[in-house]
Amino acid sequence: MTQLGLNIPTLIVYVVNFSILLGVLYFFAYKPLLRAMDQRSERISESLAAADRARDEAANSQAAIAEQLNEARREGQRLLDQAREVAERYREEEMVRARSEAESFVERARTDIQRERDAALDEVRVSFGDLAITAAERVIRRSVDRQAHQELIAQVLEESGDSLRRGS
Amino acid sequence: MAGVLTKKLLLIVGLVMVALLIVGLVRGAIGSAILGSEPLIPRPEIHLPPQPVFPASSRELHLGLTPASGESASEADPHAVAPTDEHGDAAASDDAEGQEEAHSTPLGINEFAITNTMLSAWFATIVIILFFVLGAGKKSLVPGRFQSVIESIFEAIINFSSGVLGHDMARKAFPIVATIFFFVLFNAWLGLLPVYQFLGFVGADDNLIKVHLLRPAGTDLNMPLALALVSFVFVEVWGFKAHGFGYLAKFFPFASIIKKGPFQGLIDVFVGLLEFISELIRMVSFTFRLFGNMTAGEILVVMITFLVPLVATNFVYGLELLVGLIQSVIFAGLTLVFLSVAVSHEEH
Repeated sequence: MTQLGLNIPTLIVYVVNFSILLGVLYFFAYKPLLRAMDQRSERISESLAAADRARDEAANSQAAIAEQLNEARREGQRLLDQAREVAERYREEEMVRARSEAESFVERARTDIQRERDAALDEVRVSFGDLAITAAERVIRRSVDRQAHQELIAQVLEESGDSLRRGS
Repeated sequence: MAGVLTKKLLLIVGLVMVALLIVGLVRGAIGSAILGSEPLIPRPEIHLPPQPVFPASSRELHLGLTPASGESASEADPHAVAPTDEHGDAAASDDAEGQEEAHSTPLGINEFAITNTMLSAWFATIVIILFFVLGAGKKSLVPGRFQSVIESIFEAIINFSSGVLGHDMARKAFPIVATIFFFVLFNAWLGLLPVYQFLGFVGADDNLIKVHLLRPAGTDLNMPLALALVSFVFVEVWGFKAHGFGYLAKFFPFASIIKKGPFQGLIDVFVGLLEFISELIRMVSFTFRLFGNMTAGEILVVMITFLVPLVATNFVYGLELLVGLIQSVIFAGLTLVFLSVAVSHEEH
């Protein structure tokens, strides 16, 4: 075997050499580098997950915003409708009230007129009596007969009626 | 325009390569043998055991260098000698061969000396450490280019191990598997650097390099054996961790004699014995697979350089790059496979 070069001290030197190499590489290359690689892959998967999450969140919030916008639009529409309705109702109410007021005005005017007319008629009737008496006096003074008397009354009545009709 | 230029350039490079190949064929050992001239590269010496470099006395003792004539020159500084400078004739190389018989006595089994393979293993270790510690130095969350390269190598190893062991186990086994992989790979690839060929100590009697300062560590039997031992210990420790002392029942299933009756039980015991032997033999196969491949590669490079110098070696270098990668993958991969066998919860 020595012809092939087998030599125990050399063997030991190689084993030691290899062990030192293993140790140095382990502590100065493998461990830090593998840790860095692990950290990086962790970091990458984390950031991928974060990106996914962010995208989901963005989509969610977009949907929420759209929903809110729709909601607001509907609310606005509803308010507008309501306002319009209220305005309509108010207008109708006002109209009804105005009409009834106007009617009541007309009614009152009419009753006033009626009352005035009645009062005027009464007045006319009173003055008519006076007229009749005056006419009678005249008749008496002229001492006319019965028939002339009658004619005179009719004449007066007719005159007064005409004047009354004109006057009213 | 650029396309035409590239084509022209390729043509010129190709022609130069062919010319160099022809020169190599003619001036190399093959052509020289036919033409009867002296080869460009002197005949290389192949040493199976690694050569001691330090201390100098050990180096000289094992190479038969006489201290009186060559010590001061060769010991003071490792000469960088280009092989082309050499002038030795056939007789000289015959002499070298003759001397080789005498002085290639390897180190005794308990003798200690710093060998050239050890030096190159240390060199490779330093390069690996520099490479990875620099690469992992900043450990930033956003990696730079260099860090990305190293991380993708790590990732590839972890993915490869995950296929065999499952993810969690692969993460735990990663340090040792990766270190085996890098150690084998860097030793194999760095060994292809020309530095390994032209740095060395010249002999006393001629100008030939007798002892290389560096030699790929894989060509030293002790290096694959050390890795095999580490791998073995690692696998067995994990086996015990996974099964407790029940792990031993895989190799010594004496309980099944009682459980399954004497006949089936004895078969189980025999199978267990085979398992035990194969567990040990693995170390041998691990060792000699890597040792054989690395040594063959080294010899192939040296021999092709000797036979057809200049360009022909480039193809061998390409091959050796591939072999180095394959061997490191195999060493790490087999460790993984044995590990998965050791920790798997099969019922016997």
